[in-house]
Amino acid sequence: MTVGTTATPRVDTPAEVAPVGDRGRVWRRRLAYVVLIAYALLMMVPFAWTLITSFKTLPDSFRPTIIPDPFTLQAWEYAFNTLEPSIVRLLANTLGLAAAVTVSNLLLGSFAGYAFARLRFPGRELLFIVVLATLMIPDQLRLVPIYVLFSQAGLTQGVLQYVAVWLLLAISATSIFLLRQYFLTIPRDLEEAARIDGAGFFTTFWRVMLPLASPALAAVAVLQFQGTWNAFFWPVVFLRDDNATLPLSLYLFRQSGGFGTNWPPLMAVVVLATVPILVLYVFFQRYFVEGVAASGVKG
Amino acid sequence: MAAARRVQPPPRIGARQEAIAGYALIAIPMALFLVLNIGSFLFAGYISVFDWHIRRGPEEFLGIANFQRALGDPQFQTAIRNSVYYTVIWVPLTMAVGLFLAVVVNQKIRGQTFFRAAFYFPAIASSAAITTVWIFLMAPDGLFNEVRTAAGLNPLFQALGYGPNHNWIGDHRTAMNTVIALNVWTTSGTFMLFYLASLQSISKEVYEAAAIDGADQWQAFWRITFPLLRPGHFFVATVGLIGGLQLFDQAVFAGGPNGDPANALMTVVLYLYNAMFIQIDPGYAAAIGIVLFVLIMSGTLIQRRLFGESPAW
Amino acid sequence: MRRTLLALWVTASLVIAACAGGDGATTAPESEPAGSPGTSPAASPGETAGGGGGFDPASITGTATLGQWESSPSERDALTSALEEFAAAYPNVTVEQETVAGDYRAQMITRFGAGNPPDLFYVNAEYAKDWIDEGFLLPLDDYIAQQGFDTSAYFEDYLNIFKGDDGKIYGLPKDGNTIAMAYNTDLVQTPPATIDELVSLAESLKGQGNLKAPLCLNPGLDRGLAFLYAQGGSLLSEDNSASQITTPESTAAIQWYMDLFKNGLGMTAADMGDGWCGEALGKGDAAIVFEGGWLVGFMKDSFPDTPYALAEMPVGSSGEKVTISYTAAYGIGVDSANPDPAWVVAQYLAGPEGMAAWTGGGIAVPSRSDVPVPEGFDAIVAGAEYSRPGSGFIRGYNDVQKAFQDAFTLEIQNQSFSADPVVAATDAAIQSALSR
Repeated sequence: MTVGTTATPRVDTPAEVAPVGDRGRVWRRRLAYVVLIAYALLMMVPFAWTLITSFKTLPDSFRPTIIPDPFTLQAWEYAFNTLEPSIVRLLANTLGLAAAVTVSNLLLGSFAGYAFARLRFPGRELLFIVVLATLMIPDQLRLVPIYVLFSQAGLTQGVLQYVAVWLLLAISATSIFLLRQYFLTIPRDLEEAARIDGAGFFTTFWRVMLPLASPALAAVAVLQFQGTWNAFFWPVVFLRDDNATLPLSLYLFRQSGGFGTNWPPLMAVVVLATVPILVLYVFFQRYFVEGVAASGVKG
Repeated sequence: MAAARRVQPPPRIGARQEAIAGYALIAIPMALFLVLNIGSFLFAGYISVFDWHIRRGPEEFLGIANFQRALGDPQFQTAIRNSVYYTVIWVPLTMAVGLFLAVVVNQKIRGQTFFRAAFYFPAIASSAAITTVWIFLMAPDGLFNEVRTAAGLNPLFQALGYGPNHNWIGDHRTAMNTVIALNVWTTSGTFMLFYLASLQSISKEVYEAAAIDGADQWQAFWRITFPLLRPGHFFVATVGLIGGLQLFDQAVFAGGPNGDPANALMTVVLYLYNAMFIQIDPGYAAAIGIVLFVLIMSGTLIQRRLFGESPAW
Repeated sequence: MRRTLLALWVTASLVIAACAGGDGATTAPESEPAGSPGTSPAASPGETAGGGGGFDPASITGTATLGQWESSPSERDALTSALEEFAAAYPNVTVEQETVAGDYRAQMITRFGAGNPPDLFYVNAEYAKDWIDEGFLLPLDDYIAQQGFDTSAYFEDYLNIFKGDDGKIYGLPKDGNTIAMAYNTDLVQTPPATIDELVSLAESLKGQGNLKAPLCLNPGLDRGLAFLYAQGGSLLSEDNSASQITTPESTAAIQWYMDLFKNGLGMTAADMGDGWCGEALGKGDAAIVFEGGWLVGFMKDSFPDTPYALAEMPVGSSGEKVTISYTAAYGIGVDSANPDPAWVVAQYLAGPEGMAAWTGGGIAVPSRSDVPVPEGFDAIVAGAEYSRPGSGFIRGYNDVQKAFQDAFTLEIQNQSFSADPVVAATDAAIQSALSR
């Protein structure tokens, strides 16, 4: 891995680079492109290797060859037919959970974001600080109390396991924060106009403000969907057996002995776990970037 | 209370309705936060002072005994050492790579969008998927060892004490560093985005002034960009610190719940998980959670000192 | 505003208190359906019926869920055929299988905590004492007494592991396994009978074929204990009340085991790039491994072309044959919804006919003396004659095992190869486990 700069806090380090003429500049530029492209490719190598391996046999998977020899669909057949729970079930579980979390974050996040940005009510500032303070409480600190609480509430059984995970992810402070910040940037005039027309708070919010906030909503949606699709910590605590999600299944397969080193089918599962997010990324790259940059909290 | 300061415009008609609407809109999220975050935080403190059994509940009030046990527990000390080591190495490395990438992508270059997308790419996959791949790549006869053999680099590795089939994740000397390399690779794209946001807030005029003074790009970077990025540094370092001390997914994937090999991957969070589900001791696990919180808070405060006052974010 | 907040706090804490109040955890959950409809207790429930009433398994109707792990397709087939025979013998009791994926132990603990364990489930000897201690398991003595179920046929070592400090039986051993020596017959013609022969054979195998090392060894007590015993050492005193790892014999035995790594005769599966030593044997990375009956099904499924055979463990300096045994039991949870049907299943599967059906599947050997031994397991059954338990002697045994393995791994990876730190760490872990 190339490390470009050493982050010394000293500011007044004298520059030790010789001045460069125009010719040097051009060459430096070309070199820079070569480095950049090489680095970009390096980012892709593990993914490409994963895909290639999923078409290999186990003995072949240890050879550093790019073309599978023999080319086989064995691993994919294994992934689709032999795995327990089945791949289809895993995909459905993961998708359902991610969709539910995304919807609740959009709804609850925009409600609260709007209220914190625009409505005046006693205690608003303090409550907003409470919301942000929840970001300081590590999830892991909550493991034991949440586990005890949910066990007693019966949320660790059957399909209620999904409810348990969903409740924990239903609304994140990040979503509220992101939407609040966006609502703050929308000019008040638009809202005032609607009010003058006699619209109530909710109508104004639903008809005027929400459509205006669609870029922020898209960013929240993309962030939450990706975060939940990839989530590991709460699923590993609450989701069992047939309720597993794709990332969790990778852990379960790894833990269950012999299969843990049967690489080609594992790589097929990795591909399935990654491709949906990859597609999302290709189409909504802008929102990924904006969401991450604005929220500053990953996942 | 802060909110009592009324610098707001004169009261309008419907202030009461507005307040009711406000409370209604925040009711559900606030209820969830109060029970699942603040409430469980307090509950964790409550559990931590008991000999708490997973099926029978609290049996004996222990006071601070669970905390005393944690401090004297060599495995927990190892866990703290590992988590701190990981954070101290991983955060600056990822910051350096992220900043480098951000500065590069921020230039007027062709294919800027492509490069930005490519650099962020590793961050989109799940930790589960990426760690599985990484374990495969770093296995004794995995791609990494094969490639370095083919590239003729083995004498170099041999000199460092690593044989041609070195088990990077299975050897306690290299396990954590291998995880660090993995996470630098995956997270530097995220840090790049944070830095990009920060870079874009620096006005062009500062650079123009510097150009008149005859500073070259390198000098401009160290004299202007780097110091002006202070809020960005602080933010990225804080996010990194919080994330670093919570390392779990990669560790449990690579080393299982026992932090193998030889505790090399035993982190604070993994030990918490171990205390809960292997040692079956919820009270002890809750106490470890509180210690983790204290660790994160003090780390954040130290950083605040290092970077001066916190920016408003 | 303060008042609003206060009200919210109070509400929140009330909710928590209501949900998690101390007594909630001590009482059994009120009739959890647990996904098993149609339970009609035909006989009196096991816990309440006093002695003398008699318990006839044939009179029970209902459904029992069976929580189990599954390590190979062969194991799945063996269980299926055993359950088919059960269905024929007890048509009124339906068994619903719940294969627990991944980390069985952690997953089961979450179910005990939630008060909804399966009705019947596997209990590995390794953590049986922990589960008994935590009050997860139902004592089976009432069922045993009322039905007049004969437990004398079980090998004593196996049954004892599932007895609590109160002397009650918390599980019926479902099968047993002893550690034997498996060797690649292409490379090894005559299996070594003594440890000295093993070492000289390994020396001669070094560098042959594609071997990464002659022996695949685990860096932990899970196999190391067999060699510790063979070389005259020990872990605990006879009554499991004191540490014996610090004796000169034990230290010497550990040093001997470690020297196998030092001299390049042995290597861990992980360092060979394998998940476990069975895989190393199958792939030809190692010529000799030390495993139990589970190896047989695995080799049949995954490496049918690798020729191998099983032999008894070589005799060490103690001069006596010795190996270690592993077992697991059928247990019923205190919170299991349908204990009666669960018992019916357990007494059949752990009884003579059920166990014969199960072990006939060729992946495990009987834990009782009145069940015939399946073919190909002679070495493993022979070991049962002289074996000693391999795990789960005391509560918190996991910590002891972990301490040994961590220290041992450090020594071989740092290439310092000294037994002393291993002895010290293991001893400390034993002391702390005994004092808890």
